[in-house]
Amino acid sequence: MIISEQWLRDWVGVDLDTQAIADCLTNAGLEVDGVQAMAGSIDNLVVGQVVSVEKHPDADRLNVTKVNIGDSVLDIVCGAANVRADLLVAVATVGAKLPNGLKIKKAKVRGIESNGMLCSASELGLEESSAGLIELDDDAEIGQRIDEYLNLDDSLIDIDLTPNRGDCLSVQGIARELRVLANGDYHPVDIENVTASVDDTIEIELVDAVACPRYFGRVIKGISQDVTTPIWMQERLRRSGVRPISPIVDITNFVMMELGQPMHAFDQNKLSEKIIVRQSMVGETIKLLDDSEATLDGDTLVIADSKGPIAIAGVMGGLESAIDDSTANIVLEAAHFTRRVSAGRARRYGLHTESSHRFERGVDPQLPNAAIERATELVLEICGGQTGPVCEQKNESGLSAKPPVAVRLKRLEQLLGMSLEQDEVGGILGRIADSVETTDSGWSVSPPSYRFDIVYEADLVEEVARVKGYANIPTALPRIAPTSITASEDSVGIRQVRQTLIARDYNEAITYSFIDPESQSRFGDEKPVALDNPLADSMSVMRTSLLPGLMNALQFNANRQHERVRLFEIGASYHLSADGFDEVQRLAGVIMGPKHDAQWGISKPQSVDFYDVKADLEALLNLTGQKEPFIFNEFEHVSLHPGQVCQVSRSNNDGSEERLGYLGKLHPNLQKQYGLTADIFVFELDLNKALQAQLPVYQGVSKFPSIKRDLSVVVSEDLAVSQLLNTVSASVGKALSKAVVFDVYQGSGVPAGSKSVSLSLILQHKDRTMTDEEAESAFQKALQILQNEFDAEIRS
Amino acid sequence: MADSLDGNLNDILQKAKDAINAAEQPTVLEDLRVQFLGKKGELTSQLKQIGGLPPAERPKFGDLVNQIKQEVAELLNNKRTALELEELALAIAAEKIDVTLPGRGSKTGGLHPVTRTMQRIEDIFIAMGFGVATGPEIEDDFHNFEALNIPAEHPARAMHDTFYVGGSNLLRTHTSPVQVRYMLDQQPPINIIAPGRVYRCDSDVTHTPMFHQVEGLMVDEGISFADLKGVLTHFLKQFFEADLQIRLRPSYFPFTEPSAEVDISCVFCADADGHAQGCRVCKHTGWIEILGSGMVHPEVFKHVGIDSEKYTGFAFGVGVERLAMLRYGVDDLRLFFDNDLTFLRQFK
Repeated sequence: MIISEQWLRDWVGVDLDTQAIADCLTNAGLEVDGVQAMAGSIDNLVVGQVVSVEKHPDADRLNVTKVNIGDSVLDIVCGAANVRADLLVAVATVGAKLPNGLKIKKAKVRGIESNGMLCSASELGLEESSAGLIELDDDAEIGQRIDEYLNLDDSLIDIDLTPNRGDCLSVQGIARELRVLANGDYHPVDIENVTASVDDTIEIELVDAVACPRYFGRVIKGISQDVTTPIWMQERLRRSGVRPISPIVDITNFVMMELGQPMHAFDQNKLSEKIIVRQSMVGETIKLLDDSEATLDGDTLVIADSKGPIAIAGVMGGLESAIDDSTANIVLEAAHFTRRVSAGRARRYGLHTESSHRFERGVDPQLPNAAIERATELVLEICGGQTGPVCEQKNESGLSAKPPVAVRLKRLEQLLGMSLEQDEVGGILGRIADSVETTDSGWSVSPPSYRFDIVYEADLVEEVARVKGYANIPTALPRIAPTSITASEDSVGIRQVRQTLIARDYNEAITYSFIDPESQSRFGDEKPVALDNPLADSMSVMRTSLLPGLMNALQFNANRQHERVRLFEIGASYHLSADGFDEVQRLAGVIMGPKHDAQWGISKPQSVDFYDVKADLEALLNLTGQKEPFIFNEFEHVSLHPGQVCQVSRSNNDGSEERLGYLGKLHPNLQKQYGLTADIFVFELDLNKALQAQLPVYQGVSKFPSIKRDLSVVVSEDLAVSQLLNTVSASVGKALSKAVVFDVYQGSGVPAGSKSVSLSLILQHKDRTMTDEEAESAFQKALQILQNEFDAEIRS
Repeated sequence: MADSLDGNLNDILQKAKDAINAAEQPTVLEDLRVQFLGKKGELTSQLKQIGGLPPAERPKFGDLVNQIKQEVAELLNNKRTALELEELALAIAAEKIDVTLPGRGSKTGGLHPVTRTMQRIEDIFIAMGFGVATGPEIEDDFHNFEALNIPAEHPARAMHDTFYVGGSNLLRTHTSPVQVRYMLDQQPPINIIAPGRVYRCDSDVTHTPMFHQVEGLMVDEGISFADLKGVLTHFLKQFFEADLQIRLRPSYFPFTEPSAEVDISCVFCADADGHAQGCRVCKHTGWIEILGSGMVHPEVFKHVGIDSEKYTGFAFGVGVERLAMLRYGVDDLRLFFDNDLTFLRQFK
């Protein structure tokens, strides 16, 4: 909300400069977003009256005017369309410096001498843009300084109010706040009841008196159509960020900005019979002031006449009952609509108005009376006319005073962590509340009708704290009880996982949890969790795998000249489940390009292949300390190359296998779809399953030497090396401390359809030296079994 | 006889000296050792002539031969050492490389700056004694709003542009539901932080539809606003490694009362004493809004079944991207989710 400092000072006297007011408000929770100074003092800028207007002889659009500024009459060339004789104008004479930086000099305009400039509102820094000259009211005195007449020594204070402080959405509200905070001298505007001069009334029927416990209406007849809103009111509205429109609208807006009560005015002649405050009927429509048409649900409070809705209560009036240039008789409305019935209604119809903003946050139920009197007074003053009596319908039970709230001194001290003076607290509460009673333990506080945010003891604690100032509350460090959440050794720390991949030259990515359905479908056809209200199609479903997002990131980088990309991500995938949703923490990686960055000493960079990624994965699995080997089984995946893909499983002690994830090469078709030429390898793991760790158990260290024997066999190329290793391991038994595959070869010297596999066997006993004979015997036995089982041919 | 023998010895010594001096290879020295000191070497054969001497002269002659043998051996050794040193020096000279060439092999990658920041936040709170808790990202209305004292149609909901899922569920708009879940599960003392992804239906220069928060919650007997100030002040000073000015302003969150917005003195324009001078980043206010906090609202305690008369507590929520931007000087939020390697590699 923007508020004029001058207007505020009219309401409350404080011994603070502009910045101090801003700081005071900010430190009390009414955050000042900015302070913008008006033009301030401008010399050589005075009120003048146009004496005569003649066409410029050499320019169609220019006029030559004579302007009386009191001590002289000036010749001024003017281009504004609304210049006319007798008009009171703002005259910048030679030497004036306008807020936009323009300096007024004596000049010749198309051959005619001009001794100044007639100004528009925008040239005075009052608004962004103006159509013509600012037309001053009759009360402007010729020769008077414009900065005085227009109160240009003013600042606009922009306050960002939190939703709990609807009571501050007016000059009155901020003034009240400064009274509390700075002990300001509060002097509200005097509002007197205006006596009716005609008997005209409007019938009001409160059908829903819970939603609207109070409704004031008042007929004012015979208002003048050719009056304009006085400059002073226009200025106050403009400085509150409200555009002046027409006198009646301006007056209702003015009262809202001044007191905080949203108001409305209907054209009485357009109303049928009476005003009915009721809930909408499903499917009813109303054409609104902004030219839109709303189709109402059955749960929106409306103001209606006997024909149908004429306004959405507290949101916006209807077009058909609106006042216009020919309106002579009006009905003013000042009502209380509850927060409950106002909440969310405007948004339901795509609307947000100054009025709905206030009613949603709570408007003082005691305010409509003062507001309708204030508005009546202003209408009569500005537009003339004759007023009828105030017509009121109300529901007393809906207007009962807020219950008192108790606050204990001990509780205050405990919650704030400081000791407090009883008198000081009592004083603060006294400034905030309508009435404060002292109790045994503290106070019983009756909150004012406008403070919807004081319900709990904690609310009063905050009031005391913010009036005292948060800066005056001490700083302490609590003693913290040891936490029950500790890092368990039964799983690998997630940081270790990240560090392992980083050490292997991966960069961590973070991609959105939602993705476009098409990218997603490339990696499977699982039905995803869909958003009801996505921002865009490209972010409309929750990911079921991290790979689609990572592939998009890879593609993004490939398109930016990165030929080598290694990314990983840790995060959830989201799944529909029988009882709602499942979130599975996953780790996924994508790699593309050469094994190493281009560098000297590697003349022909090798591309990454399956085994590089597998090594990365093995390095991760190795962190678990699991002794049983992980199982890499053949696997099928729609997005991966059928010949270079495998599933990763854990073999449990009980012999069962648990699937952890998969790795493989991106399917060539998919690679093409991404427009990528290099091979891409990917992996994805169920992180929580994969990270299950085993506690290390000390196995003893053999003091006896080991014997290494190498073994080369030629076997069918279809035989999995893992099978070979398993067989050797089973045959040698405990004496085999390690078996290493050190060569796999196909090519010259090896028959087609076969491959040569070379193993190193490390043989060792724990309790004694292994003899050559034992080693040889174990070795021969292994060979024998390989020959028998796999038809292996011994090489060399 | 003896004199001539002596003369022979001197000749041999001189010859040996000359040959050793002239030697350029260790192999030559080995040959010389054999030639002079070997079993059939010249000096050894001199010793064999000792029988031709009168017995009285024999010891003296023997001593002399041994003395010369020793001298030759020493010369050989010295020369060998000298040659070896020379050879080593040559070898070393030949092995000189250009040490300015870059090392070979794999480089290392890096953490995402958001993770880096999150870990930093975690570390500071863990060191203070907090534990780390997590919760689901697809939440229900109760945990995300209702239990946090944000009933349906509350104006505060307008500040949380919510993504809905299947009608009644939603993507959590903050990490605060984790406090609800934790308190439903555990009685005080509670001291946790809850880092994670959160979602708002909003996307522009300063908003991404997904971002990260760290929620904090401390509940125990006697926890006060002064404790909140202390913990957050400690955290912020640790995080920025600077003696920052900290300012708490009253604010409004439905789930805390009193509530406070926490500002730090601007890290971009502060002088040595931590007093900000005003710059573009802090909009010339000298202050940067950094997190929201407050004392847990009694209604929240009621929802989770904690006795608010016995226990009090504070909660806070901090935006991770915001802290990362301030800490590392990143000026565009959206960079965090482009995953451009050129960006990511700057955070090793």
